[in-house]
Amino acid sequence: MDNVSLFLQTLVGGIGIGSLYALVALGYSMIYRSMGLVNFAHGSIYMIGTYLGIIWYRGMVMGLQVPYGVAFVIGILLTAGLGLILERIFRPLANMDLMLMLLGTIGLGYVLDNLAVIVWGAEGFAVKSPLPETPIMIGGVALLPQMLLLISVSAVLMIGLNVFLAKAKIGKAMRAAAQDRETASAMGIPVNRTNALTFAIGAGLAAAAGILAAPIVYVNPAMGSAVGLKGFAAFILGGAGSIPGAIAGGLTFGVLEAISAGFISSAYTKGIAFVIMIVVLMFRPGGIVGEVTVDKV
Amino acid sequence: MKKNAGLNKRVVLGLAFVVLLGFPLVASNRYQVHVVNMAGLYILMSLGLNLAMGYCGQINLALGAFWGVGAYTAALLNTRLGMPIWINMPVAMVLTGIVGALVALPMLKVKSHYLALVTIGLGETINIILVNETGLTGGPLGISGIQMPSLFGIPIDGDERFYYLVLVCVVIGFLAARQMMKHRIGRSFIAIRDNDVAAKAMGVNTAKYQIMANSIAAVYCGVAGVLYAHMTTYISPDIFEFKSALFVLTLTLIGGMGSLAGSVVGGLGLPIIQELLRAIGNWQLVGFGLAIMLVVLFMPGGVMGLTRRLEEAGGIRWPWARKRIHEKPELEGPNVSRP
Repeated sequence: MDNVSLFLQTLVGGIGIGSLYALVALGYSMIYRSMGLVNFAHGSIYMIGTYLGIIWYRGMVMGLQVPYGVAFVIGILLTAGLGLILERIFRPLANMDLMLMLLGTIGLGYVLDNLAVIVWGAEGFAVKSPLPETPIMIGGVALLPQMLLLISVSAVLMIGLNVFLAKAKIGKAMRAAAQDRETASAMGIPVNRTNALTFAIGAGLAAAAGILAAPIVYVNPAMGSAVGLKGFAAFILGGAGSIPGAIAGGLTFGVLEAISAGFISSAYTKGIAFVIMIVVLMFRPGGIVGEVTVDKV
Repeated sequence: MKKNAGLNKRVVLGLAFVVLLGFPLVASNRYQVHVVNMAGLYILMSLGLNLAMGYCGQINLALGAFWGVGAYTAALLNTRLGMPIWINMPVAMVLTGIVGALVALPMLKVKSHYLALVTIGLGETINIILVNETGLTGGPLGISGIQMPSLFGIPIDGDERFYYLVLVCVVIGFLAARQMMKHRIGRSFIAIRDNDVAAKAMGVNTAKYQIMANSIAAVYCGVAGVLYAHMTTYISPDIFEFKSALFVLTLTLIGGMGSLAGSVVGGLGLPIIQELLRAIGNWQLVGFGLAIMLVVLFMPGGVMGLTRRLEEAGGIRWPWARKRIHEKPELEGPNVSRP
């Protein structure tokens, strides 16, 4: 294999894992935009979402086995429902100090992680891909079908979300509520309800990411913390609260990670990605897409 | 009234002194003492975090890594060069102080959640170095065979004797923190926390004090690390990570951010409560999470905030009450007026 195809291979892998981060980062971003809440339990929501979908696919609920596509939809809907409940719990948190927000959502993360251990056990399992396991060769680059599925479905979801926010009436209401809460509610937008919907969409996207990635990664109750941290990094890297920023941040982080693993040092993958991120933030303290703000008293 | 309060204070201090000195004698087993020793280390780290975050407003989630730097310094000096804890301690303090200051440099540029992420990234990076520099740190296996210390030929072996060493360090750490907060340093920290731009305009060298705050926090964690290495005689990188930083943050917020006494309450309380509930397995952690959420939603100032609120509402005068000019006003729920 020559260097070019090796690079392409790494790039595709990076984009695959990057779309996973981007979907998770979108959840952070949606919730932050609308409620001003940095949700550190989002990694746990991603984990719960994965389980809520995969348990149907693996026939873990009353032996009822459903096709992957159906399990995918069920998982997203159940997690979105969970998001609605969680939004209600966290409504008061949104106006609090960052430290309290951090702690409150971390508390929720503890609850979700350990409930998952109690219900589904701590061991976890590997999930068989619904697609063939043999890689497809395109121009000397070996592509795993599940990886292609992850990339394409993520792309569809991201484009769909952007169209929804730009065109649909509820989407516009959500953007208005995110921009200016008071004015939006004066215009007759039910801000709390749009916030709840935003939270539900964020949670649903995390579930989608988890269920798509489940056949590639190993499903266990601890899977949320690493992805949650990287999704958060992507969200910050892109510029907190920006939708295109979250996507750009996720893909950048995934590709950086893959390239540093493939070409620099696999042991230091995570470290290199973090160091690059810190350097980026030093030069652009508001993230890649975020605006530059001036400090005022 | 005032005289009475002073007397009460002395009685409480006296009782606390007796309880603290006598604890290892009345503890029913060694494990209990071990839990309290660990709580002592958490108090030290929490004091450091409180200085940086509660007083200077610098979010720091890299504490686990500073703890690790201290522990690894002691472990390496001891196992490779046979150095005793009395030499390792000052060396580790200087080293973690320098690491803390270096780590603070990129932190000067960013704020709030960006700052949180930078500190997480820095902490994780240090942890990754600990895991991967196998030749120096032993990699994921860690370092074993660290000696327990001895003083004037008396071995400080076993948790009961080590308890007194931890106690001395905690008391010194607490008094030093209190002294610093009464000093110019403390006033500058609070000015930066309350409004860094205004502080700068008033002539406070904000960069210097921000670096200092992080460096001091790192030194507290370094001391905890040295004690940890010599107490457990075995260290591995898996505990010096983000999770530990979160635990310290949690107990500090539950005790009371911006209150040194809060560090002691949270640092002692949380590990002990966690130990007591160990029997119910994973439900314990679920309860732990729920408790955190309840504290945040209904008691945002932590335990110390609650005592203060009771004091103001009911006119209760706690024996330890004094004029609290340096403490942060309780973190409030909806803060519309915050700039």
